[in-house]
Amino acid sequence: MSMSFEDLAMPLFPSLYGYARWLTGEPNEAEDLVQETYLKALRGFDSFRDGTNFRAWMFRILRNTFLTSRSGLRVMEPLDDDAAEDIAWEGTPDTHFLNRANGEALRRAIEALPLPFREVLLLSDVENMRYKEISEALGIPVGTVTSRLMRARRRVRAALEGMR
Amino acid sequence: MTHLNREEIQRYADGELDDAAALEQHLRDCAACANAVVAEMQLRHAVRDAARMMPADAVRARVRRRLFGSPHTWAWIAAAAAAAFIVGGILASALTSSRELADLHATILASANPVDVISTDRHTVKPWFEGKLPFSFTVPELAGTPFRIIGGRVAYAHGQPVAYVMIGKGGHKLSLFVAQTALPARGMRGFESVTWRANGLTYALVGDVPRSDLEQLRARF
Repeated sequence: MSMSFEDLAMPLFPSLYGYARWLTGEPNEAEDLVQETYLKALRGFDSFRDGTNFRAWMFRILRNTFLTSRSGLRVMEPLDDDAAEDIAWEGTPDTHFLNRANGEALRRAIEALPLPFREVLLLSDVENMRYKEISEALGIPVGTVTSRLMRARRRVRAALEGMR
Repeated sequence: MTHLNREEIQRYADGELDDAAALEQHLRDCAACANAVVAEMQLRHAVRDAARMMPADAVRARVRRRLFGSPHTWAWIAAAAAAAFIVGGILASALTSSRELADLHATILASANPVDVISTDRHTVKPWFEGKLPFSFTVPELAGTPFRIIGGRVAYAHGQPVAYVMIGKGGHKLSLFVAQTALPARGMRGFESVTWRANGLTYALVGDVPRSDLEQLRARF
């Protein structure tokens, strides 16, 4: 086997870029962030351990790079994971409201999410990561992934239903 | 079994429950809980469709050039760990995508407007996809078979645009997915599935009909 790091890592480019766009909210910054991520991944490639998840590892590097950047420091607010106030379940979901909600409204609702919720939602629903993989990428327990995802979806749902 | 709680609905819709047999039994009997699961899957897919941001080809090319310059200058760096990577990567992508087709099938069928082009004529459905997908494929003639084309749309699976064709057989609706790369179809949540490759494309049939029906349909391609 003689596949290069380039061959292995470049297929992740669209995913990493999309995630970077959602973190930074800006195309040029996203491009720089992804490039920096690849450079760090290349330099740290020796420390990548067999048997761990490469994709989660790449996303983790991207996120850590973002958080230590100027805009990252600005957006990461503290979050109380034990807050129960918006976890409570109420009523039956309307299976049809999503058909009426347009993509733009949904994007605004996602944009309005605090970063800890937004990133879990994106890794789960857009990147189709398992909770375990998200937990590796973000360095948080699986239980926290579960509850943040619940709160993220609840907020998105509420935002869309509020617009009706 | 009692109704599903919020976390069970979420984890089931996300394919995170290892042993869902008792829960699935309940879902067959309880419209409220089944409804909640479908709603959760719908939200998941709506978020995916709305939030996906694809980089322009120029961006990818630019970053690749800045990072890697001329090809193969430092390919040796990764060579040692490459084999482990590849196995892990393929496994990871197969596992994460295995649920996607079953999810998509269930979500599309549950949606109010499941297809964007409605036609029983393959000569209408096939050209509709042109320009919407980076590949073209053939929809088989189904006249004289128990199957009929219902319509089509573009969907996303495994990080790529895929063609979706809805095919009817009696009261059942089957899903045909066509993509450029592999569409692993394991862990299908009780749906039957058949996948194959032809002409550089992957085809996947998913539905709640006997496997022999899917094989019969596949034979038309």
